[in-house]
Amino acid sequence: MNWRNVKLIWRRELRDQLRDRRTLFMVAVLPMLMYPLLGMSVFQLSQFMQTHEGRVAVIGAGDIFDAAGGVPIVEGDRFAEPLFDSPADRSRLGVTSIEARPDYDLASALDEHQAKLEAGAWDVVVFFPPTFASRLIELRAELAKPRGEAGAPRAPPEIPQPVVLYNSGRESSQVAFLRVERVLSRWRQAVVSQNLAESELPTAVTTPFEMLQRDIASADVRSGALWSKLLPFVLFVWALTGAFYPAVDLCAGEKERGTLETLLASPAERNEIVLGKLLTVMCFSIFTACLNLASMGLTGKFVMQQFAAMSPADGGLGNLGFPPFTAILWLLLALLPMAALFSALSLACASFAKSTKEGQYYFMPLFLCTMPLMLMPMSPGVELNLGTSLVPIMGVVLLLRALIEGNLATAAPYFVPTSIVTLICCWLAAKWAVAQFNSESVLFRESEQFNLKLWLRRLIRDREATPTPKLAMALAATLLLVKFFGELLMTRFAVSEPSVNFVLFTLGVSQLGFILIPTLLFAWCFTRDQLRTFLLRGSVPWRQVGLAGLLAVTLHPVGLELTRAIQLLYPLSEETKLRLVALAQAIADVPWPLMLAGFALLPAVVEELAFRGFILSGLRKLRSPSAAVGISAVAFGILHGVLQQSLSAAILGLVLGIIALRTNHLAPCMLFHATYNGLNLLYPQLAGNASAEVRKALFGDFEAKISLEHLSYRPVIVILGSGLALLLLRALVRSPAVAPAPAEAPGATRPAL
Amino acid sequence: MQWPATELAQPPRAVGRPMVEAIGLAKSYDDLARGKLTAIEELTFTAHAGEAFALLGPNGAGKTTALRILTTMLTPTAGEARVNGFDCITQAELVRRQIGFISTNTAVYDRMTAWELVEYFGQLHGLPDDELHARMETLFTRLEMHNLRNTLGAKMSTGMRQKASIARALIHDPPVIVFDEATNGLDVLAARALLTEVSRLRDEGKCVIFSTHIMREAERLCDRIAILHRGKILAQGTLPELREQHAEHDLEELFFQLIHEADNTP
Repeated sequence: MNWRNVKLIWRRELRDQLRDRRTLFMVAVLPMLMYPLLGMSVFQLSQFMQTHEGRVAVIGAGDIFDAAGGVPIVEGDRFAEPLFDSPADRSRLGVTSIEARPDYDLASALDEHQAKLEAGAWDVVVFFPPTFASRLIELRAELAKPRGEAGAPRAPPEIPQPVVLYNSGRESSQVAFLRVERVLSRWRQAVVSQNLAESELPTAVTTPFEMLQRDIASADVRSGALWSKLLPFVLFVWALTGAFYPAVDLCAGEKERGTLETLLASPAERNEIVLGKLLTVMCFSIFTACLNLASMGLTGKFVMQQFAAMSPADGGLGNLGFPPFTAILWLLLALLPMAALFSALSLACASFAKSTKEGQYYFMPLFLCTMPLMLMPMSPGVELNLGTSLVPIMGVVLLLRALIEGNLATAAPYFVPTSIVTLICCWLAAKWAVAQFNSESVLFRESEQFNLKLWLRRLIRDREATPTPKLAMALAATLLLVKFFGELLMTRFAVSEPSVNFVLFTLGVSQLGFILIPTLLFAWCFTRDQLRTFLLRGSVPWRQVGLAGLLAVTLHPVGLELTRAIQLLYPLSEETKLRLVALAQAIADVPWPLMLAGFALLPAVVEELAFRGFILSGLRKLRSPSAAVGISAVAFGILHGVLQQSLSAAILGLVLGIIALRTNHLAPCMLFHATYNGLNLLYPQLAGNASAEVRKALFGDFEAKISLEHLSYRPVIVILGSGLALLLLRALVRSPAVAPAPAEAPGATRPAL
Repeated sequence: MQWPATELAQPPRAVGRPMVEAIGLAKSYDDLARGKLTAIEELTFTAHAGEAFALLGPNGAGKTTALRILTTMLTPTAGEARVNGFDCITQAELVRRQIGFISTNTAVYDRMTAWELVEYFGQLHGLPDDELHARMETLFTRLEMHNLRNTLGAKMSTGMRQKASIARALIHDPPVIVFDEATNGLDVLAARALLTEVSRLRDEGKCVIFSTHIMREAERLCDRIAILHRGKILAQGTLPELREQHAEHDLEELFFQLIHEADNTP
C-alpha cells in the first residue's frame, strides 16, 4: 500500500467534490437552510394555531346561569373568565350564544348546525338540550332537601347530555374542541362544587384527595433522555445520507465519465484507489452529520425558546438545554467508526452502479437495511445488554444513549464488545468495497437488458454441470420465501397442543414441501449433473463418514453449551418457550425409531441436499471458499426461523460447510447432521434412563439439576469434547477427498465478467 | 485552435525491440441473456519500439478488451501478455508504469483544470515536483495547450479534452502509448492533429498501439496492422505484406473480404 497515492487520490476527490455544486448543496447548503426553514414553519404554524380564535356556537345556554346556581358559563362573546387559566387563553375562544326557540327540536337543530360546522362557519358547536336547565334545577332542589333519618336513597332526575359537535378532519376544529372540552369540564366541576356547598357537604365528598406528582428527574436528566434518543438517530441517518451521494459520484460518476479507466491504468493499486475514495466519502459523511446536528440543534433550541416565551406555564420542552459537552464528545467518537462503516457500504453499493442515476436507486435498499437497526433502540423495551450490544449499529446507538444519559457505569462493560463488533463490520464493509473494485464484472459491467424469457431459456439451455453462485443464491432466497409463506399458511391449522400426527405432518410438509421439492426442481431444471451437484457422485468415503459421525458426538457438549450461551444472551420469549415445550412434549410421544427417522434423519438428508448440496456447490465457484461456507451457513441459519436457533444452526452450518468442501461428498455431512440432531433428541432420555454412575460421570451433580431441559455436561466433558472435535476436524480436513473433485475447484475459476 | 501539422505518410523504417507481446490471449465472460461470451480468443501479436501498431476492427471486435488486458484492467482467461518485458498479470503495477493510456471518451475530469489533471497523474506516477513541472511545461508547449492551463474539463471542447488527455498519458514519458479509438468524436482538424501526434511519438521511438475502426487511419499511420473480427485476428502484417498475402491492393476491400470469409466459415 502506497500511502502517498492514497493521499493524492483522497485530496483530488475531496477537491473534486467540493467543486461539485450538487454535492455541496446536499451536504452543506440543504442542512443549513432546511432546519431553520423547517423550524420557522413549525413555529409559525403553531403560533397560528395558538393565536387562532376558535369560533364556538353555544345553543340553549340562556337559562343555565340560574339553573347552575349562579355558576357562569358564557359572558358576552366569551366563555366565563373563571373557566380559564389566563386572559390569553380566554381570548382564543369566541362564543356566539344562540337562543333556543321554544319549539326547539334537538335532531333538526343538530342537522342544521352540523351543516354549518362542515361548511366551516363554526369550529365547535355546543348544544344544551331544552330540558337541560330545568332538570339541573330539579337536581339542585333534590340535593337541597334535608336528608331523612334513615338516609333513604333518592332518585335524582336524569339530566340530558349536552352535545359537542366538532370536526376532527379540520385542524382548527380539533384545537378548538380541546379548548372547549377543558372549559366545559371546569364548568362542570364548578357546578359540582356549588351543589356541594348548597347541600352543606365538603368538596372532599367528590375529591377526597389530590394526587401530588413529583418528577424526580432533574431538567438535565430530562433533556438528556430526550437528546439520547434523538441525537444518535439524526447523526447516523445523516452520516449515511452524507456518505451515499459522494460515493455514487466517486464510483458510478467516474464510470459514467470514463475517468475510472484511466485511474485504473495508473500505477495506483485498487486498494489505494478504494482507500482514497473511502476517506473522501468518510469526510463528507462526518461533515454532513455534524452540520446537520449543529443546524438542527440551534434551530431546535430557537424554536423551543420561542415556545417557552409564548407559554411559560408549559415548562418542559421550552427549558430544553443543549446536550452536555461530554455527550457531543461521545457522539463524535462514535461517528468515526459509523461514518467509516456507512462510507464503505455506500462505496461498495455505488461501485455496482453504471451511472449516477442507477446509483441513486441503491440508496433506498441500503437505507431500509440500516434503518431498523437505528430505529429499534428507540423503542422502550430495548435495553443495553450483552446481546443487544453485539448487534451492529444498534449496539452503538444503545451505548450512545446510555452515555448521553450520563450512565457511564451502565455503558462501560459494553464498550469493548460494541467496539469489536463495529470494527469487524467496518473491516468487512471495507473488504467488500475493495472486492467490488477488484471485480471485473462490477467495474466493467455492460448494460444488460434483462429479459426474463431469454434468461430462463438460457438457464435451461446452457445449464452447467453444477449450479452457478447466482443460482445458489436464488435457491436460498426461494427456500426462505417458500418457508415463510408456507408457514404462514400452516398457522391456519396451528393448535396449542399439537398431536403426534400433526407434528409429523407439519414436519413432512416443511421438509419435503418447503425444502426438498424446490431443491430438486432447481437441480433438475438448471443443472446437468445432479449427482455431482448434490456431492453424491463416486463411492462413499466411509472413513470420513465415520470421522464426521464421531465429530458430531464430540461436538455435542460444546454445541449444547453454545446454545445455552446464546439463550442467555438473547433469551427466548415466553410464547416461543411454550411453543417449543409443547413441541418437545409432542415429539417425546413419538416412538423413538420414528422420532429418529423423522426428526434426525429426514432433516439431515433434506437440508444437506439443499444447503451443502446445491447451494454450497454453486457458491464454491466464488473465489473465496470461506465466503462460500459463510454464506451457505448464514442461509442455513436464517431458515431456522427462531433467532436463537438460527445462531446455533449457522455455527453448525460452518462446520458442515467445511466438511462438505473438504470431503467432496454429502454422506459425511448427512451423518454428522443426523447424529447431532439425534443426540439433541435423545440425550435427555438417555440421561434419564442411564445409571447414576454414568449420569454423574457425564453431567456431574445430576440430582441438583432436576430439570432435564437444563441439563448440561460437566465442564471437563465439554473441554475434552472440544479438544477431540478439533482433532477430528483436522483429520477430516487433511484426509484426501476420495470423491471425484468437481470440475470447478474452489478458487480455480475467475470471476465472470 | 491550431494543431501542429506534419507529414503523416511514413517510409518503411527499422523498428526496435519488442515492447508489447500478446501470446494466445483470450477473454470470455458471462452474459445474463446470452450465456458465455468470448470477447477475444487466441490473440497473438507483437508491437515494437518505434512502431505504430494498429488493431483494426469493427465495433465489438474485441479491440477494447485486448487493450484493457494490456493495461492490466482486465485479467485474461488464457494466454499471457508482456509490456516492456513485464508480465501483465504478475507485474501489473510495473506494466502500468510503462503505458500511457488514451481512451475513447478522453477521460478528463470535469471539475479539474488541464494543469491539475496532468499534475495529478504525474504525481501518481511518482515524479518529483521539479521534474514534473518542467515536463508539464514542455508538454503544454509541445501540445500548444498553455491556454488550457486553468480551464476546467467541463468547459473544454472535445479536441481540447483530447489534448489534455494526451498530456496526461505522456507525463511519465512511457515507452508504450495506447490509443483506444482516440479519434472518435473528434472533428477533422482535431483528429488530424491527434494522428500527427501519434506519428511524432512513433518517430520518437515509442511503441504506439492504435485501435480504430477507420481503415484510412490505420493505412496512413501504422507500420503494421492486425485485423480483428469477433475476437480473433484474421490477418496481420505490414500493409504491403497484407496486400501480397491476400492479393488485394485496397485495405478496405481486403478488410471486407476477410470479414466475409470469417463470417461464412462455420
